[in-house]
Amino acid sequence: MNVAVMKTKAEQAISESFEAAAAKLPGSAAVKERRAQAIGTFGGLGLPHRRIEEWKYTDLRANLKEVLPAAVEDKTPLTIGELIVALGPLAHVDAHRIVFVNGHHRADLSDIADAQGLAISTVGKALQSASEEAVANLASTPAGGDAVEALNTAFMTDGAIVDVAKGASVAKPLLIVFVRAGSEANAVTVRNLITVGEGASATIVEASVVLPGAVRDAHFNALAEVSVGKGATLNHVLSAVDEGKSLHLSNCEVTLAADATYRGFQFSSSLGFARHGANILFDGEGGKLDLSGAYLARHSEHVDNTLVVDHAVPRCESRELFKGVLDGHGRGVFQGKVIVRPDAQKTDGKQMSQALMLSEDAEFDSKPELEIYADDVVCGHGTTSAELDSDLLFYCRSRGIPEKEARALMIESFIGEALDKVEHEGLREALASYAMQWLGRSPRG
Amino acid sequence: MAAVQETIDHVRKIDVDQYKYGFETVIDSIRAPKGLDESTVRYISAKKGEPEWLLNWRLEAFTRWKAMTEPTWAKVNYPKIDFQDLYYYSAPKSTEGPKSLAEVDPELLETYNKLGIPLKEQEVLAGVTSSRVAVDAVFDSVSVVTTFKDELKKAGVIFCSISEAVREHPELVRKYLGSVVPQSDNFYASLNSAVFSDGSFVYVPEGVRCPMELSTYFRINAKQTGQFERTLIIADRGAYVSYLEGCTAPMRDENQLHAAVVELVALDDAEIKYSTVQNWYPGDAQGKGGIYNFVTKRGDCRGHHSKISWTQVETGSAITWKYPSCILRGDYSRGEFYSIAVSNGYQQVDSGTKMIHLGKNSSSRIISKGIAAGYSQNTYRGLVSAHRKATGVRNFTNCDSLLIGDKCGAHTVPYIEAKNSSAHFEHEATTSKISDDMLFYCRQRGLSSEEAVALVVNGFVRDVLQQLPMEFMAESQKLIGISLEGSVG
Repeated sequence: MNVAVMKTKAEQAISESFEAAAAKLPGSAAVKERRAQAIGTFGGLGLPHRRIEEWKYTDLRANLKEVLPAAVEDKTPLTIGELIVALGPLAHVDAHRIVFVNGHHRADLSDIADAQGLAISTVGKALQSASEEAVANLASTPAGGDAVEALNTAFMTDGAIVDVAKGASVAKPLLIVFVRAGSEANAVTVRNLITVGEGASATIVEASVVLPGAVRDAHFNALAEVSVGKGATLNHVLSAVDEGKSLHLSNCEVTLAADATYRGFQFSSSLGFARHGANILFDGEGGKLDLSGAYLARHSEHVDNTLVVDHAVPRCESRELFKGVLDGHGRGVFQGKVIVRPDAQKTDGKQMSQALMLSEDAEFDSKPELEIYADDVVCGHGTTSAELDSDLLFYCRSRGIPEKEARALMIESFIGEALDKVEHEGLREALASYAMQWLGRSPRG
Repeated sequence: MAAVQETIDHVRKIDVDQYKYGFETVIDSIRAPKGLDESTVRYISAKKGEPEWLLNWRLEAFTRWKAMTEPTWAKVNYPKIDFQDLYYYSAPKSTEGPKSLAEVDPELLETYNKLGIPLKEQEVLAGVTSSRVAVDAVFDSVSVVTTFKDELKKAGVIFCSISEAVREHPELVRKYLGSVVPQSDNFYASLNSAVFSDGSFVYVPEGVRCPMELSTYFRINAKQTGQFERTLIIADRGAYVSYLEGCTAPMRDENQLHAAVVELVALDDAEIKYSTVQNWYPGDAQGKGGIYNFVTKRGDCRGHHSKISWTQVETGSAITWKYPSCILRGDYSRGEFYSIAVSNGYQQVDSGTKMIHLGKNSSSRIISKGIAAGYSQNTYRGLVSAHRKATGVRNFTNCDSLLIGDKCGAHTVPYIEAKNSSAHFEHEATTSKISDDMLFYCRQRGLSSEEAVALVVNGFVRDVLQQLPMEFMAESQKLIGISLEGSVG
């Protein structure tokens, strides 16, 4: 039975928004063509909804009612002082920095002068350069036909291109900062390309922050394409902190070469409606993945972490740990799929997802999935959901700790287990501070 | 570690091409015309002499079924089924209303003898086992005979075929039929509602503990026939019943459809224990033939403190699509699901459970063990959900998979939905092959390789086997012990 597909108002509006923005979006003719193809792909797919298995718990079609205009240009004034305010705890981390305001690169706020071992440029420039390489690298719609990634290709304005030189060991982390400022509600779309050369190691942070007083309604769509070379190590932290109103869609496509290590961490706090996707592909034997995350949601916020770990080759190891704290009508979603392909023997995969529910109306939906086609493997997953342990709470109170304090302590230790996965001390502390701000506590020390 | 010849021989005995129930009984039968339309539904209803309300109920189901599409979400692959190329009703000619066992066709009795199902009460009484089991034997589309009826009657338990129940106890059937699995529930359940031919009916009255195990034995015999049976079990307040279900089919190179519906209703303080040993023909070594087992099984813990427990041992069927579920409506109600699914050859299993917590302080436990060998695919798919107002609910889920050989697959797809904070849900799953360390340890202690594997595997599935009634436990244990023994090679 064929049913004519009705476009929702939002889907229609997105197509219209593309037409309005197309001329102003950066890029050569070849890029423009790719963008048009991508919006065509999106038109065919439509916004993902709950009838699509991967979006079962995150109905984007139902939640995206109003389409904001694309942020094709930006003239918002922003000073270094304001940037530091927006960064909050992250400002204290000693790091190289490349800054984008409302999706557009700002050289004056960036600080990448002495970044040895790192070659940094921007997507905006690459799109304009019209080189075939740039088009191939940037404007390709990633395979799989994901509607959100197609939208990213169609609308992306800027982002960072980072190459870590072969064998380089970059001590200072690199912060890729996306700031939302100004009073205009719009949709920011960015793309990052990260390539870590053979044997190199680096720490890269993608931070999405808001200048206090900026417009609260905003749409953000980020896509990171990451490739970790043979024997290389990448610590990749994605942090998004907002004010409970915005729509955040982020995707991370990671490919690991032989013996490469990828340590990913996804932190999110007070995002209105968020979906973080991560697709990890083991492309060479001996790869290691340690992907973790912490998310905090209250009011009617919605946070979805969806992972696909593809053990395509033998002898790889994957570890995932995600922890969420849900208050008010907050809703947490975790979907983790681990695929072990035929012949991917000696695979070792473990996954854990836990939610702490602070209020009666919170909701947690979890779908950890194993798809295994090889026999000599060890794979496991676990998921739990519970409220604060009343015995523990009683214990704390019997030792003279006030209830509020005791609860906060317990939540902190719950989240702390995940945060401990962040190796860089300064970053770990910055994320812990964000968590404590969310809890309404002053940072430690 | 290479399997020794003795072990290989053992495995042969239970591998797909060694199916021992594959014989066919030659017996005269009456069949409905091939195909499915409204007249088929009317034919079946007329054949059974059903009252008008039931015919209308069937027709409504049929109307709804026509508007539905086949579900495709399960991780199974099979050619599209032509629903017009099936016989929907087939009955052995001689069994229209046998009054006693003496009137039953001897061919039929012989069939059940071959299957090891005791239908003669005296024999059972004289048998070696001390416990007795009342049996309802269903052959193709009709119930052939039900044993121990008189004794059950004394206790007030109604145990008969569903056609008989429609005649004798219409008020009970009308009240409960479709109350757990409605006509429009899903594609196969709707099909079943329209064309179900027979099945078992059990009613255990208030406060009665059913004096013996009840059992239904399903047998598909005729060619190109689908079997659509419907089982309805009601345990009134404070009642208890334990029910066993077994099934086999002849070996054929065509696929046969089995779409059953099982409805359980447990009122306040009642308990139903439902055990299945599913041994439908799984197809041959090349994956040809075998039963498509598309079954909807659901229990409704309607009363407070009620309990429903599903135990299943799945070794047969070419394709299994089956999710025995519990709706935990009553406060403090409890649901349990214990499953062992062994797949071999080209079998595909997509099975699991749903625990839907609606009542306060309801609890559930899921233990699922999947064992995949050969070229088979074995999927666990389960849902645990807590309603917003169902406070204090508990669930523990443990699903483990064991892979034997590198051509098979084991998958786990659990859905966990907690809609309130006091729900405590724990889920864990592991997939592994038998660890070399464990084997080494056992061998070091003087066990042979096979003994060591059998020990580990029996340990792996013991949680589930312990839940089976005695009669089935010994047989299942043997079956699983052997089936795994030689496979690790």
